[in-house]
Amino acid sequence: MNVKITSPSEFQSAEIVTDRQNPACIRCGLCLATCPVYRTTLRETDSPRGKIALLNAVADDRLEVGQEFSERYYGCLLCGACATICPSGVPLEEIIQAARDDMSLHKLEPERLAQLGRIIAEHHNISGEDNAHRLLWTANMEDEPMALKPRETADVVYFVGCVGSFFPRSYRLPQTMVQLLEKADIDHAVLGGEEWCCGYPLLINGELDQASELIQHNLEAIKSMNPEKVVFTCPSCLHIWNHVYRSVAGEELPFELLHATQLLADLVDAGKLRFRELPAQRVTYHDPCDLGRKEKIFDAPRRVLQAIPGVELVEMRDNRANSHCCGGGGNLETFNAELSYAISDLRLGQAQEVEAKVIASACQQCERTLTEAARRNRVRIRVLDVAELALQALEE
Amino acid sequence: MLSESIQSELGEIVGNEHLLTSPEALICYSYDGTFHESLPEAVILPADTAEIAQVLELCNRQRIPVIPRGMASGLAAATVPVDGGLILNTVRLNRLLEIDKANMMATVQAGIITSDLQLEVEKLGLFYPPDPSSVRHSTIGGNIACNAGGPRCLKYGITGDYVMALEVVLADGRILRTGGKAIKNVTGYDLVSLFTGSEGTLGVITEATLKLIALPEAKRTAQAIFPRLEDASKSVNAVLWGGIVPATLELMDETAINAVEDYMQLGLPRDAEAILIIETDGDPADAARDMDVVARICSEGGASEVRIAKTPAESDELWRARRSISGSLGRKRPNKLGEDISVPRSAIPDTIRGIKEISQNRNLPIVIFGHAGDGNLHPNILFDKNDPEEWQRVQAAVADLFGLAVAVGGTLSGEHGVGTLKKPFLESDVGPVAIDVMRSVRHALDPHGILNPGKIFD
Ligand SMILES: Cc1cc2nc3c(=O)[nH]c(=O)nc-3n(C[C@H](O)[C@H](O)[C@H](O)COP(=O)(O)OP(=O)(O)OC[C@H]3O[C@@H](n4cnc5c(N)ncnc54)[C@H](O)[C@@H]3O)c2cc1C
Repeated sequence: MNVKITSPSEFQSAEIVTDRQNPACIRCGLCLATCPVYRTTLRETDSPRGKIALLNAVADDRLEVGQEFSERYYGCLLCGACATICPSGVPLEEIIQAARDDMSLHKLEPERLAQLGRIIAEHHNISGEDNAHRLLWTANMEDEPMALKPRETADVVYFVGCVGSFFPRSYRLPQTMVQLLEKADIDHAVLGGEEWCCGYPLLINGELDQASELIQHNLEAIKSMNPEKVVFTCPSCLHIWNHVYRSVAGEELPFELLHATQLLADLVDAGKLRFRELPAQRVTYHDPCDLGRKEKIFDAPRRVLQAIPGVELVEMRDNRANSHCCGGGGNLETFNAELSYAISDLRLGQAQEVEAKVIASACQQCERTLTEAARRNRVRIRVLDVAELALQALEE
Repeated sequence: MLSESIQSELGEIVGNEHLLTSPEALICYSYDGTFHESLPEAVILPADTAEIAQVLELCNRQRIPVIPRGMASGLAAATVPVDGGLILNTVRLNRLLEIDKANMMATVQAGIITSDLQLEVEKLGLFYPPDPSSVRHSTIGGNIACNAGGPRCLKYGITGDYVMALEVVLADGRILRTGGKAIKNVTGYDLVSLFTGSEGTLGVITEATLKLIALPEAKRTAQAIFPRLEDASKSVNAVLWGGIVPATLELMDETAINAVEDYMQLGLPRDAEAILIIETDGDPADAARDMDVVARICSEGGASEVRIAKTPAESDELWRARRSISGSLGRKRPNKLGEDISVPRSAIPDTIRGIKEISQNRNLPIVIFGHAGDGNLHPNILFDKNDPEEWQRVQAAVADLFGLAVAVGGTLSGEHGVGTLKKPFLESDVGPVAIDVMRSVRHALDPHGILNPGKIFD
């Protein structure tokens, strides 16, 4: 099906691209240098410059929006590397997000993603399981975590996120996190079935309008615990809280939003976590796009790693603001797994280039995609969360 | 559109997934680094030399225009398919084939990104010096086809100085291998040089052997502020007379200083007429000693301030002003036309004065920066292409600029090439005999005129 756009205002993204107030794309092509999708497919149609050219054509009535257009815009990691490198300051993140909103509005999003949207609406999580099972990850822990104690309020609420709650391979992360919170003597709680999907998958699918119930629910659930801090191990949850929840709430949130690595770094600085020496190991830190480029959190995870004796921290070729996506961004894997894998392989290659034995990250999605990449390529690199290394160093 | 049968023949050669004909694809391959665009009839992405040879043989037989394309960072609209035809994109030929350490040479496929090659050879302590600012988003094939150069060219030369051998597919599909690893080679015409700078009009470059040198161990960076442009120019000469060849000698004139200040507020002196960014390199002692001499010459020559970076971070900081120029332009006006006239070094002050006059007469902002060591200047005209009257004035200003360049003994293009944009001005620069010779060469190699038609000259 093709959609003929008769005025740019029917297509918000085309409007942003043609708005004379915004810096225009001068077609220098620098974004091709950092776009992981372009670097993998070598197709101008997949490049940020190409995406802007397509929107310009839509705005000038030279192109009807259809299947291929949609695939180009969903075939994107939303990693934001293009926006960071663009010398002209074209608001690429805003444009690409708006284009996804437009496509969802015009019913042009890939069916797999629309399906995900329906699952979230019905089950309040991305897996489609009963949301009451959010605490299954605690079942096989040796000691029942204190986080499970029924309680009215807590100083810190740990927002676990769907991946850590429902995907057994990611259980290790919430398990690690609650043990760290216990060891640091922090009064904390998790929400269990009262935690709903944060809405991030809907946001990036272009269906934010369907997320308001989730957002309202989570805001209320957390406010009722009256915490000082809400801590996230998932950078995507943190991102939507920082950028959408704040504005939906319409007021200053009565608590601080922190990523786990920020809390850990503070605890290290305050002397509340003291690390013992780990066996000497060469570790590289992979900046998750949602945590680094989008939340500007670069130093906290590195500070934690550097505080662990035995860890030799090395940087990959693309790091910090110029970090290279793990391949797991933008829901790309849901609808083009092969491309997503090829991109993961590139990132894995950068870790091999600096001869790292461990890739530490701070996002369960990055950990999953990079672990898969290492397995697929039979490369002996361990992929761990910063929190996991921290817990190891407390236990040695 | 290409006929069904031609499309299916092309698809058979490269595999259907590498032949693109959707409206989306045609739009994305209709432009380069300029604001020009024109739709191709199809886009083909062959995997290797053999496929390219088959494609050209077919297109030559069927008289289909073929426009070679690398990463389309070109600034002369040389890869814009002005008459339709087939875009032949070489980016899938991106392998590094060999690094020959004994002879210090690398052999690469044409579609490799230049900075990818640089990173690989640097791991071995080797150095591929040509450094167009687009190294991260242009290909070796494109660099050779445009004979690209960059800030380092005064000391290290341009792309053409490093090309030892080429593999080229000719218009009729024959494969030419020319040049070799022997440094001295006068056996027959120098065909390597002929294809270097040919902008996709004489053949499709598929492979190149490139000379490498030892990677300089150390680098020193300085920024010198000159209240008067004339003094900056004289200091550059004094440095060179002093026997020092800096690795880079970048010039920002007051228009560029102010454009960057408007956008970044770096604290640059808005009333200074020139800033020079100078880099010396070599072994650590040489780089440092050279830099001391450069700093002294600049101070004595009228610089109000000379800052020498002590750490890589400080050096980055000094480069920031220069690196920010490009970004500052897009924020001033929606479109820019970046020229690259090249003049004798001594004519820089006169040329810059002349450009400022043109800017006033034509009532258009023109931002000037360039390479002070080699006289290559980048006047960037800022405008809005949606305003037809303004576009008229831009074209007039371009003609003025080229007139000025030739009048002071210079030339139209130091880096970007002729393409479509400078075609109308070519004869005024090189003269009718030269064009005639070029035309004969082109006709001999491409009698049916299928390769990048409409570019450089008709
Ligand atoms: C921000 C920016 C900065 C730049 N800085 C510089 C600079 O400092 N110095 C400089 O010299 N240039 C510079 N350029 C211009 C441009 O990057 C160079 O001309 C570069 O060499 C083009 O390479 P490309 O792969 O992008 O080629 P394209 O733009 O794709 O093509 C350019 C020309 O080469 C031909 N061509 C490409 N590949 C082949 C091939 N394999 N065989 C035959 N012909 C081929 C095309 O037909 C066309 O005529 C800059 C451009 C930008 C946007």
